[in-house]
Amino acid sequence: MARDVEVASRRGRIARAALGWYALAIYVFLFAPIGLLVLFSFNANRYGTFPITGWTLTWYRQAFNDYQVHDAVSTTIKIALQVTVISAVVGTAAAFPLVRSRLPFREGIRIVLILPIMIPGILIGVSLLVLFTSTFHRTLSPETAVIGQAVYTTPFVILLVAARLQGFDSALERAAADLGANAYQRMRRVILPLIFPAILAGALFAFTLSLDEFIITYFLIGANNTLPIFIYTQIKFGITPEVNAVATLLLAGSLLLLALAFLLPQLVRRARLRPTS
Amino acid sequence: MSRLGSGLASYVGFVPALLLLGLCFLVPFAIIVCYSFWETIDYSVVHHWTFDNYRYFFSVGSYVSTMWWTLLVAVAATVIAIALAFPFAYWLSRYAPQRLRTFLLVLVIVPFWSSYLLRVYSWLTILGEKGVLNRFLQWIGITNHPVGIFLYDRPAVILVLVYLYFPFGALTLYSSIDHFDWNQLRAAMDLGASPLQAIFRILVPQIKPGIITAVIFVFIPILGEYLTPQIVGGTGGVMIGNLIANFFQAAEYTRGAAISLLVAGFIVLLLVIFRKSLSTKEAYGA
Repeated sequence: MARDVEVASRRGRIARAALGWYALAIYVFLFAPIGLLVLFSFNANRYGTFPITGWTLTWYRQAFNDYQVHDAVSTTIKIALQVTVISAVVGTAAAFPLVRSRLPFREGIRIVLILPIMIPGILIGVSLLVLFTSTFHRTLSPETAVIGQAVYTTPFVILLVAARLQGFDSALERAAADLGANAYQRMRRVILPLIFPAILAGALFAFTLSLDEFIITYFLIGANNTLPIFIYTQIKFGITPEVNAVATLLLAGSLLLLALAFLLPQLVRRARLRPTS
Repeated sequence: MSRLGSGLASYVGFVPALLLLGLCFLVPFAIIVCYSFWETIDYSVVHHWTFDNYRYFFSVGSYVSTMWWTLLVAVAATVIAIALAFPFAYWLSRYAPQRLRTFLLVLVIVPFWSSYLLRVYSWLTILGEKGVLNRFLQWIGITNHPVGIFLYDRPAVILVLVYLYFPFGALTLYSSIDHFDWNQLRAAMDLGASPLQAIFRILVPQIKPGIITAVIFVFIPILGEYLTPQIVGGTGGVMIGNLIANFFQAAEYTRGAAISLLVAGFIVLLLVIFRKSLSTKEAYGA
């Protein structure tokens, strides 16, 4: 009996160690491709691959001097800013009735609001393409891409803000009402400050999604380039170290924004908790 | 101003979202539905109701086989991704150091939210003719010339799809395994079950909703994949998303609309069938 337990626990230890190594292998699998991309962007080898022939910033210099990259960066940021504003405003407004109203059709509306996340982007892209070009006879432009991206990013803001609205204590609002605050004051002084971290996270999230969005933009932007579209047209002709450099910058940008989306709301909350003198 | 009045007032918040998603999501979708039943004559769309676009799709052998291959690739990639994610989620929830758990979880999710295009592209630097894998094989002396077999076919597509969607599977499985009471496994093993028996007969049935959610959320996006087959798939790896794109880029809107509706219809059907498993909590991303 005692030996059985011993065997079992030894087996358990082996299983445990094996799983640990397995998890390590998974992390390598997840990060190696991206890591290599970053590595090759600093590699002097002009085929953008092994062997490492020396370290250089040439590819970054080349990218910074490329007017196509300049255009793509400025278009990307302009689009991302517009998408962020639209989805933050529209998403926050929609989160309130989603969580609070007790009227019929709420469930149906909820599904419609969440559906753009579930439907593949290519279908959003082509259906808007038909709407803009065939129904309205509009020329494709960065503005049409903004609309397409906003359809996809707004539901994420709705989800984040709705989760926060569901989480907060409605007694606070009733207390404010009892103390004589009118609807506007309750909104301005109680509700908005409480859900602001979620709105901020949603906005940063929408910005990141917009930076990286490819397929909807691809169908709707017409003759312009965003960074992902620029990278895509370049890699059709093969890997170049300059693309690796641009890719690394885009990656760094979105990781930074993601970190902010995770951390800023917590910092805001913590700063609020500190008593103001 | 009774309860109904204030209820209606609170509905106002929906208006911008319903305008945006109504006009730019539902209306275009309705147009696609109409187009799929209309005809294109001399490059212009004629409002004449017909099933021709669907008949055309099913009459071309290569389109139908692309449809089946898309399903097969989606099933294969989903099964592999979930199978890889399960032991990982098990480790993270049971054995990973408590202090590091949140960090390790975030580390898995970060690639999922960082640039999707770059994650596909990064595989070119590994699988390509001058890629890391070929360099490695030449270096250890297995071949002396670049091998082209790694790229531009279905295995490469499946590999990259597994890579892309693994984090989502791991995250969803982790969140349901994390609620599991490990004493139940110990009890089963005390009663004579082997560890694997205990896992498959006690743990797996209890986290079934989580597994279904993971499967659905990995399977559905793969059905609409465009970039992965485009970048690493070559001519052999074409999926239905590429067919859709080709039709719309060639301005064959009515035929493209029919394929789009087939895909969208299938996805909506899956969502309806599995709606009970897709809990709001997971959907809210909480």
